[in-house]
Amino acid sequence: MKSRERVMARRRYVVLSIVSPLALLGLWFLATREGWVRSVLLPSPQAVLTSIVDITLSGYSGVSIWSHVVASLSRVLTAFVAGSILGILIGILRGRAPHFDAAFVIPAEMLRPIPPLGLIPLFILWFGIGELSKILLIFTSVFLIMMVNAQAGTRSCPLDLTRAALSLGAGRGHLFRYVVLPAALPQIMTGLRVSMGTALSILVASELLGGDRGLGFIVLDASNFFRTTYVFAGIFLIGLIGLVSDRGLALLTRKVVHWEGRR
Amino acid sequence: MTKAHTVVEFPVRSAQPLPTGSAEILKLDGVSFAYDDRTILNSVAFSIRRGEIVSLLGPSGCGKTTILNIIAGFLAPTSGYAFIAGTEITGPGPDRGVVFQSYALFDWMTVEDNIAFSLICARRPAAERREVARRMAALVGLTGSERAYPYQLSGGMRQRCGLARVLAANPKLMLMDEPFAAVDVQTREALQEEILRIQQETGCTIVFVTHSIEEAVFLSHRIFLLTDLASGLFLEFDVDLPQPRWSAENRLHENFIALREKIYRGMRKAEQPQRRTEDVS
Repeated sequence: MKSRERVMARRRYVVLSIVSPLALLGLWFLATREGWVRSVLLPSPQAVLTSIVDITLSGYSGVSIWSHVVASLSRVLTAFVAGSILGILIGILRGRAPHFDAAFVIPAEMLRPIPPLGLIPLFILWFGIGELSKILLIFTSVFLIMMVNAQAGTRSCPLDLTRAALSLGAGRGHLFRYVVLPAALPQIMTGLRVSMGTALSILVASELLGGDRGLGFIVLDASNFFRTTYVFAGIFLIGLIGLVSDRGLALLTRKVVHWEGRR
Repeated sequence: MTKAHTVVEFPVRSAQPLPTGSAEILKLDGVSFAYDDRTILNSVAFSIRRGEIVSLLGPSGCGKTTILNIIAGFLAPTSGYAFIAGTEITGPGPDRGVVFQSYALFDWMTVEDNIAFSLICARRPAAERREVARRMAALVGLTGSERAYPYQLSGGMRQRCGLARVLAANPKLMLMDEPFAAVDVQTREALQEEILRIQQETGCTIVFVTHSIEEAVFLSHRIFLLTDLASGLFLEFDVDLPQPRWSAENRLHENFIALREKIYRGMRKAEQPQRRTEDVS
């Protein structure tokens, strides 16, 4: 009975999650067909779909869609992987070693509220307008988010768990590996999801820096020429990547921290 | 302040003597503890013999958990000494196992790995870990749940796992901090009987912290009623109940009822400060 109820609940969830965007799409369709908005501001869904098909088949500005996607994805992934690794490492160290934390606290907390976009002029000055600037911009955001999450996660370990481990003979290494790190994992996984979302949103901004490749480039270039349907096509593709990566990370989270929320 | 340790004798019937010839395993010597200038313990002294179950009984805030934390090595006394088997306690260690009210199980490990955690820390081979975990699971009645995760177990089962985890480390002393406070009455009584059965089987020594008079009387060989630890005062009661101690019948035994009443009166009397050191009989 109980498992049957759960299946029904799951089915309702899936149906709703599909119906709701379809309803939005319907509203969009109506708004453009009835002429509630000007098509240069909001093109019709059919026009956007045509542009997506066009981009997919014949590329954008002489470059195939896959080159654009690969260019964007490799920037995001490089920055995401490097930023997560360094952020998690330093966050854990800050959570575990007060001296380390003391050394980092003022520069890190002053850097954190600065919007990444505010760093763009500085990064152009330091690193030029090439790949390095783009990747470093995304890297900085991911790094800061992961550092905060890893630090907080490391400190979230309940006192009783630490005490239990110590009274069972755990040394520093065992305590960290079997207790502190697993206890920090839920928050680290949440950090990964948040920072992936941020990374994708900064991608577009980073491609403001120049270059002739990437989904952000498509959006910016198309908007410069008022090709609104292509702006939407680019936004749609970025959103799609965001959706897929978030669902993937959510699934991974459920596998890795299977105990979360079930205590 | 002078140490005032009042011993109250309970009528002795020799049906079940304390383990004879057993050595002193735990000794507290003038242990004081202050937190933010507030005295919690003042010159508390007692000792516990091997194979005994001793309950520290008192209302919340009386300092019983502080004593347990000092014995466990989680807290260092402000002054005084605590010894385990003749060695001064300077920190937590596997010779003193702790069963927590919150269970404190590792949710990311299976029941088997939780039970065998002390062997993981001691770098024992996997085959031995499995074997010990299987044996301890059987001892506490967890056979068949070795592959489950703690969050898949009921409260009572979780505490069985916590118990097995401590037993697997084969400690000199087991410290239990209100371990059954979060389970329902039926489960609690079953677990109390289980503790007595396991204690008989393994001969382990237990310090049991509780605020329930019934629990203390049913479980203990001796009870320390912690009336005023900030002055170093407590009352001591010997428990005399027939064997087997785990028999639920003991809960209705005349000695059980008499001692419960005596402790209750002692507790009420202790609440009136000006009369706390008077005879409670």
